[in-house]
Amino acid sequence: MKQPTVAPDVERDSELDEVTEADRPWLVIVWNDPINLMTYVTYVFQKLFGYSFEKAHKLMLDVHYKGRAVVSSGPREKAEMDCFRLHGYGLWATLSKSE
Amino acid sequence: MSDISLKLNVAEASVLRDLVEQMRALYRESDATDPVRKRLFPDAYKEEKDAAAFREMTGGDLSAAKLEALDRVSESLGQKGSAKIKLGDEDAEAWIRALTDMRLAIGTRLEVTETMMDFEPDQSDPRFAALQTLHWLGWLQERILEQMVP
Repeated sequence: MKQPTVAPDVERDSELDEVTEADRPWLVIVWNDPINLMTYVTYVFQKLFGYSFEKAHKLMLDVHYKGRAVVSSGPREKAEMDCFRLHGYGLWATLSKSE
Repeated sequence: MSDISLKLNVAEASVLRDLVEQMRALYRESDATDPVRKRLFPDAYKEEKDAAAFREMTGGDLSAAKLEALDRVSESLGQKGSAKIKLGDEDAEAWIRALTDMRLAIGTRLEVTETMMDFEPDQSDPRFAALQTLHWLGWLQERILEQMVP
């Protein structure tokens, strides 16, 4: 994460705020569901994002045990494309702006 | 990757042919309040305005991709009888996606829970037949998956 380069008590100009707002990435979140198989979800993460088996498996476990996981992030257009592809594979994916 | 082989007996192939037709009907249905529809075409955003814009932008492509996967499954199954199937990469991809949607449709309709999915269905359960199908589709999907390379 980027750190602010100005002291918090200094009023930042609005242009800088806009840049910061646009820089905050969009997150692609996959939610747990009781139907999709663990092997399948792992496969989809490997296939769509080119993740190693280890990384895909860890993300799948996060989805399963924590209820959700951020599986990718980036500019809005890319995040929307990832979300669309996940929907194509029947995964329950949503988008939100990182805090 | 070499072709994936699948052998389905008459009953199995016929169950899948029926499901293909049911899914075709589901994809064409436009009842936005149907939980199955909502699960197969999930909202990408929490805010309705953003969700609607995303649907507008991607919904058509998503339906088309889902229908195309069904077409491939249907083609490999043939018209009737048992089926000896060889799946290339793209066919296998279509199969696992179509099987996923069939499972999501059945599971969502039955309102299955994780605990329910951990146990063999009980014969006295009125949902027994549908749950058996759900588990069998999962078994079939894993047989295909284990022969696939991501």
